[in-house]
Amino acid sequence: MENYLFDFHGVSKDILNDLNFTIKKNEKIILFGPSGAGKSSALFLFNRLRDPDSGKIYYKGEPIQSCEISQLRKNIGLVLQAPNLFPGTVLDNLKYGPSLFDEWEDSRAEELMDLIQLPENYLHRDVDQLSGGEQQRVSLGRTLANKPEVLLLDEPTSALDVRTSEEIEGVLEKLIEVHQLTMVMVTHNLRQAKRLGERGIFMKEGKIVEDGNISRLLMEPESKALQEFLQD
Amino acid sequence: MSPEVSNQSLLFLIVFVLVPLTLSYYYQLGMSKDIVWSSIRGTIQLFAIGYILTYLFDLNAFIGIPLMVGIMILVASFHAWNKGKELPNAFVVIFLGLLVVEGSVLALWLVFDMVNFKPSEVIPMSGMVIGNSMVAMGLALERMKSEFTENSGRLMAALALGAQPKQASHLIIRKTLNASLLPNVDSLKTIGLVQLPGMMTGLILGGVAPVMAIKYQLVISLSIFSSVSLSAMIVTLAMYRYFYNENQQLIESAEEMRSRTND
Repeated sequence: MENYLFDFHGVSKDILNDLNFTIKKNEKIILFGPSGAGKSSALFLFNRLRDPDSGKIYYKGEPIQSCEISQLRKNIGLVLQAPNLFPGTVLDNLKYGPSLFDEWEDSRAEELMDLIQLPENYLHRDVDQLSGGEQQRVSLGRTLANKPEVLLLDEPTSALDVRTSEEIEGVLEKLIEVHQLTMVMVTHNLRQAKRLGERGIFMKEGKIVEDGNISRLLMEPESKALQEFLQD
Repeated sequence: MSPEVSNQSLLFLIVFVLVPLTLSYYYQLGMSKDIVWSSIRGTIQLFAIGYILTYLFDLNAFIGIPLMVGIMILVASFHAWNKGKELPNAFVVIFLGLLVVEGSVLALWLVFDMVNFKPSEVIPMSGMVIGNSMVAMGLALERMKSEFTENSGRLMAALALGAQPKQASHLIIRKTLNASLLPNVDSLKTIGLVQLPGMMTGLILGGVAPVMAIKYQLVISLSIFSSVSLSAMIVTLAMYRYFYNENQQLIESAEEMRSRTND
C-alpha cells in the first residue's frame, strides 16, 4: 500500500460503477472515454469535491475521509475546465490559495509567473483583460501556488483553440518534467493524451474498460469499446 | 387644518384603477384580473387595518404593541420565506432575524426618547421597519440563490484550493449585501430632492409643521437604513452555509438541499 499514492474503490450512484484502481507517485495518468463515462466525476472524488456513495479511497494509505479536508484539497490541486478566476488581478488569484493557509510570500509571484510562462508585468493586470489562454494559465498558476503533490486536470484546454491549447500543453509538459508531479488528467484530445500521459485509463459508462500504457492503448486497443471510440 | 378625503371623493379613485386596466386590455397584458383583484384586496386590507388600528390604539400599550408587532413579524416572515422556501430553516432564521431587528430598533427609539411607547407611534413606525426588513431579507435570499448558481464554478475552484465554505462564499456574501443595501443608499441620497417620503408627506397633510415632519422622517429613514442592513446581514450570514454539506462540498440541486432539511 505504501507504494501507492491512491488506492481507489468507489461507487457513485448513476455515474460510477465499482471503480477500482491504484495510482503510484509521479504517475502521469490520462482518463479518457466518451462523454458521460464518469471521468470528471471520478476526478472530483480525489479531492473530495464529491464523495462516493460507497467504497473507500485511500491517500498514502489513509482513508481520505479521515484527512483534514482543506489540507487534502491543498495537496491535491485541481484545475477545472473553465478558468473560474476570482475578480481582481492576476496576483490576487495567485495568492488566494496560499493566503488561506498564511503561506504566501511575495517572492513566489515571480516564480509562478515563470512557471505559467506569463510576463511579470501581468501580475497587476485585471483578470478580465486576459485572453482565454492567459486566464487558463493563471488558473493553473493559482493551483500550483499551493505546491500540490498531485495535479488533477479536468479538460483544461477543451475551451481553447488549437494553438492556445498547444501552448498550455507546453507549459504542462515542462511543469511535469521539472516538478515531478503526480498528474491525473481528463481529456478528449488523444494527441494531448499521448504527449502528456504515460498511463491511460479508458472509461465507459462509469467503468474502467482498459488500463495500461497510453501509447499502447491508442495503438493497439484490446477491447471493442476502445476500438470503436478510437474510430469515432 | 388637516384635509379630509370624503367617501364620495374616494369613489372617484376608481379612475386611477381604470388607467392600468385600459392599458392591460389594449395591449392584451392579461393582467386585468390581477389589477381588479389587487385593487379590491388592497382597499379592504387598508380599511380593515384602519379599524383594527383604531381598536389597538385604545388598548394598553403592553398588550397592543406586542400583539400587532408580533402579527406583523409573522406575516412578514411568511412573505420573505416564499423567496427561499427550499433553504432549510429559512423561516426560523427570518422570523428570529425580524424579531432581533425590530427589538433593537425599538429599544434604541425608546432609550433615546425618539418615540413614545404608545401604540399610535410604535405600531406604524414598526410596520415601516418590519416591511422594509422583509423586503431586504427576500431580496438577499433571492440574490444569494442566483449568485450561488452563477458562481458555482468559482466556488468549486475556491473549495478546491482549500477554502472553507465561509472563505469561499466571501465574494457571494459581499455581492448579496451590496445588492440589498444599494436601493436604500440610493433612496437616502435623493431623499427630499426627488420625492418627499411617505411618512413626511402624511404628517404634513395631517397638519404637522414641515420641520417636525422632517425630524420624524429622519428617525424612520435612518432606522429603516439600519434595520435593512442588519436584516440582509443576518439572513446572508445565517443562510450561506446551507449551500454546502457537512463535507464542505457545494450543494448544487434543490433536491439535495431539501434532503438535508429532512436529515
